[in-house]
Amino acid sequence: MGEKTVNAIHYIILAIIGIVFILPLIWLVVASFDLNANQALKWPETWTLSNYIGVLTSSDDLRGFGIGLVISLVQSLIVVLVSGLAAYPLSRYNLSYKKGFMYVILFMTSLPMIAVIVPVYKMFLNIGLLDSIPGVILYLSASSLPYGIWLMKNFMDGVPVELEEAAWVDGATTMQSIMKIVAPLMFPGICVVFIYTFSGSWGNFFVPYILISTPEKMPAAVMLYQFFGMHGSIAYGPLAAFSVIYALPSILLYILSQNYMSKGFTMAGAAKG
Amino acid sequence: MKRKQILSILMASAMLVGMTACGGGSSDGGSSEGGDASAESGEASTEESGGEDADASSGEKSKITICWRDDGTDIELNANYQQMQAAYETWDKKDQVELEFAPITAQEGDYFTKVALQLADPGTCPDLVCEDTFQMPNDIAAGYLTNLDDYVADYEDWNNGMYYDSMVTMVTGPDGSVYGIPYCTDTRGLFYNRDILAQAGVIAEGEDWQPTSWQDILDACAAVKENCPDVVPFWCNSGVATGEATSMQTYEMLLYGTGERLITDDGKWIVKSQGIQDSLQFLSDIYTNGYGPSLSLVLNGQAGNTSAREYLPEGKLAISLDGSWILGNYSETGAAPWDGYEDVLGLAAMPTSEGQDPGTITLAGGWAYSIPENSDNKDLTYDFIQHMMQPEYYKTYIMQAGNIAVRTDTAEDEDYASRPLMDVATQFLETAEFRPQNDQYSTVSTSIQQMVESVVSGASPEDAMNQYATSVARSVGEDNVVEQ
Amino acid sequence: MAKPASKKVGKMAVFREDMKKSVLLLPAVILLFGFFLVPIFLTVYFSFTNMALTGSAAQNFQFVGLDNYISMFTDPTTLTAIKNTVVFLIGSLLGQSVLGFLLAYLMRGKAKAFRSVLGPCILAGWVMPEIVVSMCCMAFFDVSGTVNMILEAIHLPGIDFIYGHPMLTVIIANVWHGTAFSMMNFQSALDNVSADIEEAARVDGANRIQTLIRIVVPCIKDTIATNTMLNTLSTLGVFGLIWALTGGGPGTATTTLPIYMYNQGMKNFQLGQGTAIGMLILVIGAICSVIYTRVMKPEN
Repeated sequence: MGEKTVNAIHYIILAIIGIVFILPLIWLVVASFDLNANQALKWPETWTLSNYIGVLTSSDDLRGFGIGLVISLVQSLIVVLVSGLAAYPLSRYNLSYKKGFMYVILFMTSLPMIAVIVPVYKMFLNIGLLDSIPGVILYLSASSLPYGIWLMKNFMDGVPVELEEAAWVDGATTMQSIMKIVAPLMFPGICVVFIYTFSGSWGNFFVPYILISTPEKMPAAVMLYQFFGMHGSIAYGPLAAFSVIYALPSILLYILSQNYMSKGFTMAGAAKG
Repeated sequence: MKRKQILSILMASAMLVGMTACGGGSSDGGSSEGGDASAESGEASTEESGGEDADASSGEKSKITICWRDDGTDIELNANYQQMQAAYETWDKKDQVELEFAPITAQEGDYFTKVALQLADPGTCPDLVCEDTFQMPNDIAAGYLTNLDDYVADYEDWNNGMYYDSMVTMVTGPDGSVYGIPYCTDTRGLFYNRDILAQAGVIAEGEDWQPTSWQDILDACAAVKENCPDVVPFWCNSGVATGEATSMQTYEMLLYGTGERLITDDGKWIVKSQGIQDSLQFLSDIYTNGYGPSLSLVLNGQAGNTSAREYLPEGKLAISLDGSWILGNYSETGAAPWDGYEDVLGLAAMPTSEGQDPGTITLAGGWAYSIPENSDNKDLTYDFIQHMMQPEYYKTYIMQAGNIAVRTDTAEDEDYASRPLMDVATQFLETAEFRPQNDQYSTVSTSIQQMVESVVSGASPEDAMNQYATSVARSVGEDNVVEQ
Repeated sequence: MAKPASKKVGKMAVFREDMKKSVLLLPAVILLFGFFLVPIFLTVYFSFTNMALTGSAAQNFQFVGLDNYISMFTDPTTLTAIKNTVVFLIGSLLGQSVLGFLLAYLMRGKAKAFRSVLGPCILAGWVMPEIVVSMCCMAFFDVSGTVNMILEAIHLPGIDFIYGHPMLTVIIANVWHGTAFSMMNFQSALDNVSADIEEAARVDGANRIQTLIRIVVPCIKDTIATNTMLNTLSTLGVFGLIWALTGGGPGTATTTLPIYMYNQGMKNFQLGQGTAIGMLILVIGAICSVIYTRVMKPEN
């Protein structure tokens, strides 16, 4: 086989995989503009915005999106902040317990936190954190924190300590050198942690489904779950529109940080050793 | 190196010790002590909080939070909602109290989990909860529901026989106290499309269908399948997602029809028997012969509404084993208005397996308004329940719900009594059986649903029954099960 | 730093110094303690009780020793759930790694325009929230969904994916969702494989496959290990995707351990038994974690 034929075959294989991967999403987008959408991909008889208008003019839906955003954003910020702070001593200082601590952290990253949802429910019941959005945020933050710390520490290891030493000479405090020197240099890494955390909780409907009971406090993920559990067979158009809107923050976030992401992966790859 | 390792181990074990102490402490709070404390304060509040309620309401409006299951139907069409709205308008405490509707959007199978989660939490507990009577023994045993004895003592209608005795029994706990005001009952039977059965040659035009054994049903399905290929011959709730509907409308209607019951007289759950096997075999026959709907239709949480609101009215379904309330869909104000349904739809009693005595079988259940123990507004809530159960508002409910009334006076109401097929459904009640009033029933019921779903999706009746036996023994304890 | 006068003082000094330096760790330690470790220890504790969501055991739960574990291991559903978890895990891992690697490998040196179209197509499934993935797959694999429409168009018999081949369906859904992560991992690893070595091998007469196996794979074996571990751990915790797509059914066909735990703990109201299953999941996670730790070596 000539190099050219091989290359052509590669293109064909790749194109097929690509089409298969994007097909469900094409359905989603097309259905969201179709008044009479059903399960199968079809050209809408009439293109309409009414599915979107329906979702965007529903105060319940908007509130759900708002709550979802608050949960995911605040959680991601907490994780970035807390893991960033924690990563500093772990990366910079020679602590006697460092090795043990990192082993514990690494161990924690691999525990499926879904397994403890029942005790979390019971614990929240006893300390009055049930049906509380801050409670959900705290639990979600803690469960994604080990991985955040692990990544942050590795990214921070990649930032040469010499740059900071210059700042120390100028009399900068630890916090100042983190903010002014380390953070900007590891911005791609911060993005990775942020996005990882955000997309993890943005799609999570189960934790809020168990921990929250007031309908007015349900984030969009739970509403989407309930919506297609209840109306699935009837209303694909509005469901698709809801999903598209719901997926937008993830997509936007990804596009905005695309460059950082690939750098972040390289950093993670390099730092992992 | 070694020193560091020792230090980290020490740290870890220090954490461990701290944890266990902490964990023990917090769970103790939730168990016996916490339970006792809340029970005591609960008792105290029944006597004293009347005054507090009034005080509070003079300042700002107090709130009654009401919880029921939202099955995806528009809230305006919900019968409970209509009843409460109508009653609220004329309630003498309207100015002091606000109603807050907090329906739970969940599949029937998940509703009771969500309710239990809420009842346990003083922070989110509703003041008024719609309880399926099968769930009540369980919630009573958990201490989640308020004992209403003191309240109903002064309720005239309650004490002079306005409520059917069988309904009163259903809301009475093992301690002989009342834990809810019943608001509906129901019976189950075979709804059938006369046109289709006539076309299939099962009945003559204008004739009623009355199968006398399960074989008659299978024969009718075979005829429908052959003569009307586009029609689903038979539909019954078959999945975990449809929850209690699968246990009661399907499995128990079959099991009771074999002459067996779920539980022995001395309270042991029957986990293996010929009756169980026969019931499962019937379901297996339905599905392996292609008489049932496709699994994608019947195993999701919307299955009940799909059959009642789409397939039956649209002439795509011949026979539906379902509950009397589906008739509520077809009235002008229902969720799926069906003009002239009385001419097309028939209702036949479910036959016993081989036509043995008593010939036909039905199960009756029902729902009740209960006040959670954790409610902070018990007196006002009770006052509202009693107000909305007056015949005029209750009629609003029962007409919209299309269900069977629990009040004797409403049962004689002309509008109510003249509804098509209701006379038949109500007649079933005379010989109706009830589910076991046992606080383990709701757990056993989830095992039943898993067993039924296994069979309809291809497992053999033997395997499914064995799995049922293990899972029930696991939930209620080895000592509480028997094989027959 | 001055040398400590004696070993004892030395230890104290090291300890004090460590504590001073560790202030920044405090928020993390508090959060992890309260919302990560406490729930885990509660899981251990609850799994030895008959705690229930409702019924008499909701009010007064008791210590029941090993009962929950005994009943768990005598229930054949446990075995089914373990088996399903393993099938789901292996299927997802194979699918994600093979596809991810294939994509990363074949995309090397392809036209930039092509890559910039293909990349987002693959990433789209990854970026989608879990619940949207379920919803898309539900419609896509429905008996009257897009896949069956295509099969019909090319005159092939329809397939009832969700109810006829439920495990396959949830695996495909998870592969769709997860492949991009593997692809990106492999891309960054392959970028570091020197083109010269490959070229040299080619010159020596090795064909494409030989080069791949002898040169490329050994170069990225660390990435393969890491990627496999990360995917294993995330797949082990998958709940929402399966729950929303099949609910663990039909029957128990897609009941993996997390679904089994929810059914037993919440739906059957037996919180104690649910936490025992939770313990099983944690133990499996911990075993994976030990292997993972060996691979990752945190001191480096």
